[in-house]
Amino acid sequence: MPSPVVVVDGLNHFYGEGVARNQVLFDNRIEVPPGQLVVMTGPSGAGKTTLLTLIGALRSVQEGRIEVLGRDLSQLPPHGLVEVRRDIGFIFQMHNLFDALTAYENVKMAMQLGHERPETMRRRGMEILDRLGLGHRIDYKPRNLSGGERQRVAIARALVNGPRLVLADEPTAALDRESTRKVIDLLKATTAEHDAAVIMVTHDYRIIDSADRLVHMVDGRIVSDVVMHDALRICEFLRAIDLFRALTPVQLTNVAEKMQKRHYAVGETIVREGESGEEFFLISDGEVDVVRADHEVARLARGDFFGEVALISGEPRNATILATEPLDTFVLGKSDFQSAVETSAPFRDQLYRTYFSRH
Amino acid sequence: MAIAFSTLARRGGSRPVPLAWRSLTANKRRLLRSSAGIGFAVLLMLMQLGFEGAFFNASLQVLRALDADIVLQSTHKYQFATEDPIPTSVLASASAVAGVASARPLYADWFGLFWKDPDDGKVYLVRGFGFDPDKPVFLFPEINAGRALLKQQDTVLVDRRARRFLGMDRTGGQSELNGTKVAIVGNFALGPDFTSDGTVVMSAATFAAAMHGAAGNPPGMEAGLIKLSPGADRAMVLAALKKSVPAEIAVMTKAQLIEKERAFQADVSSAGPIFAIGTIVGFVVGMLISYQIIFTEVSDQLPQYATLKAIGYPTVYLLRVVLEQAALNGISGWVPAWLLSLGLYRLIGQIALLPMRMSVEISLVSLALTLSMCLISAAIAVGRVIRTDPAAVF
Repeated sequence: MPSPVVVVDGLNHFYGEGVARNQVLFDNRIEVPPGQLVVMTGPSGAGKTTLLTLIGALRSVQEGRIEVLGRDLSQLPPHGLVEVRRDIGFIFQMHNLFDALTAYENVKMAMQLGHERPETMRRRGMEILDRLGLGHRIDYKPRNLSGGERQRVAIARALVNGPRLVLADEPTAALDRESTRKVIDLLKATTAEHDAAVIMVTHDYRIIDSADRLVHMVDGRIVSDVVMHDALRICEFLRAIDLFRALTPVQLTNVAEKMQKRHYAVGETIVREGESGEEFFLISDGEVDVVRADHEVARLARGDFFGEVALISGEPRNATILATEPLDTFVLGKSDFQSAVETSAPFRDQLYRTYFSRH
Repeated sequence: MAIAFSTLARRGGSRPVPLAWRSLTANKRRLLRSSAGIGFAVLLMLMQLGFEGAFFNASLQVLRALDADIVLQSTHKYQFATEDPIPTSVLASASAVAGVASARPLYADWFGLFWKDPDDGKVYLVRGFGFDPDKPVFLFPEINAGRALLKQQDTVLVDRRARRFLGMDRTGGQSELNGTKVAIVGNFALGPDFTSDGTVVMSAATFAAAMHGAAGNPPGMEAGLIKLSPGADRAMVLAALKKSVPAEIAVMTKAQLIEKERAFQADVSSAGPIFAIGTIVGFVVGMLISYQIIFTEVSDQLPQYATLKAIGYPTVYLLRVVLEQAALNGISGWVPAWLLSLGLYRLIGQIALLPMRMSVEISLVSLALTLSMCLISAAIAVGRVIRTDPAAVF
């Protein structure tokens, strides 16, 4: 079990003094492991932002304990808090970019606090802006960028140092569908690649869908804290696929629990034509191209699957699969796939009907 | 090699983002406004400093033009332009001192010579100098070139930079000095100071006639000018002279004489404080203007500064950026004001006949004043940045 990125224990917080003293957080407890995308929801005034700023070392802890990246915030002097903040990626509702600086320079302002070597800063800045679809806007000033582009620059600034904790407050509020998608992809890639935790306050359902965990706050209390099990999500996907319709819920869950999450970057080859097949893939997010003899023959997206034919027939892969977007998949090994087939006679029949009638 | 390498690295983008510089130059219209505002205040200060310099230059330039190593004058003289003659006999005692090449008389008067404007006949008080044409006392080449002409009785050289109403702006013609007809045989360029409007230079004999004294013993020897022999030790001659002349005669080098005059003008006359107050007024105006500018800049960028704090920049960094920006504002106002003042000095110098000169000292003093006025106002405005709450950006 990796040590948690954030530990909040018995946290109370108050605004005001004396008679005007008003408690805004009540005995909050939460523990966030690496790699988790936590979405915080709740009505306004529920204390989400206060909790976020406390975890972000932007306020002093009054009562209780917060540990961020192994450091106890309640024990740190002000300059210690400043240092903790350098290891956190902050995404604010307002982009707050410097009008006088270009997109790259705004990002560089953050890089100057990190460990990036000066000689490689430009390359690193271009890389991250490019991933957010701003490769052609690197030397633009904010006033020449759209609202969505500005917010993406601010997100690049938050993520450029590869932080192990990202705190975000309504980061997609000002974004269109396309921009939101890019932001979610990058955040998920960040959690996957750097084993980072993301805590985000949002009401954007497009993000809630991809959350690993939902924390709901009301009146300063965490009233529900639900970890979205991948297995449940996989079952949702599998149930929608014709091939698996014959499996009982228990059999489906058994398959789902054996599947593993795997991330691919854009352009990565997942399966190569002619190689032997060892795994079965289910797409949970992103798109792939199916290429056979150098011709694109199909495009698969969220909820689609591939790789099963070679497992069933024992023949080499009959196509190459390329990720055209950042791709999240659930992967099932050959033996697990075959044992799943063996456990269910209707499933086996279904398989044979589907594939051997075709050949 | 090492330098070339680091330059290359810098091209690669290793220099920290010059935030203050970018903020200054990003908005051209704002830059123009701020440099105009601050430049105005700088110009006020430069004018005061220029006037002050001109005031001192004007009263010192006649002393600077004296052809002497050591000067003898009355100990009671608190300023050069006061009447306090010394006996001509001291020249003889001085000449006897070893190391003295020559001791020459300078006759001078500030309050008793009346000059008639040759054009309209009006009469004005002028400053007059008399000397023995065989014993030059001035460094002006035009005066020395005119010495032969001055030997003729009732001939004068006039200051062509004197105030216009004196009608001295000519090379020939006739006029009257204390009622005596005199011929103008040439001119030189000195300029008025704050006590005299114009200057007339003549032979000792003409001077005596004008002052109604005896030709052989003119009144008003105000100074004895001593030149040293080549290789003579100045300090030793100075000490020897002090012993050989009466106690009421002050012996000093030319530099000491100039310094004494400067000290009088700065401390005893009210001129020094007047210009100082004028400069302070410019400084305060500049502080108000630059405070307004830096306050607006800081207020506009407050969310950005709070963001920098939130992502881990220490307050000291923000302090530095704001002060840097204030200093850049100052320089951007100082440079055009300094350039403009070159033209204004020239213009005022010509109109008011003042020796307005841009000096290294005035440049440095005005730059230091500009920077401090901008930095002081930035120090007041920066409080907002220090107090800004990084938690407020969420």
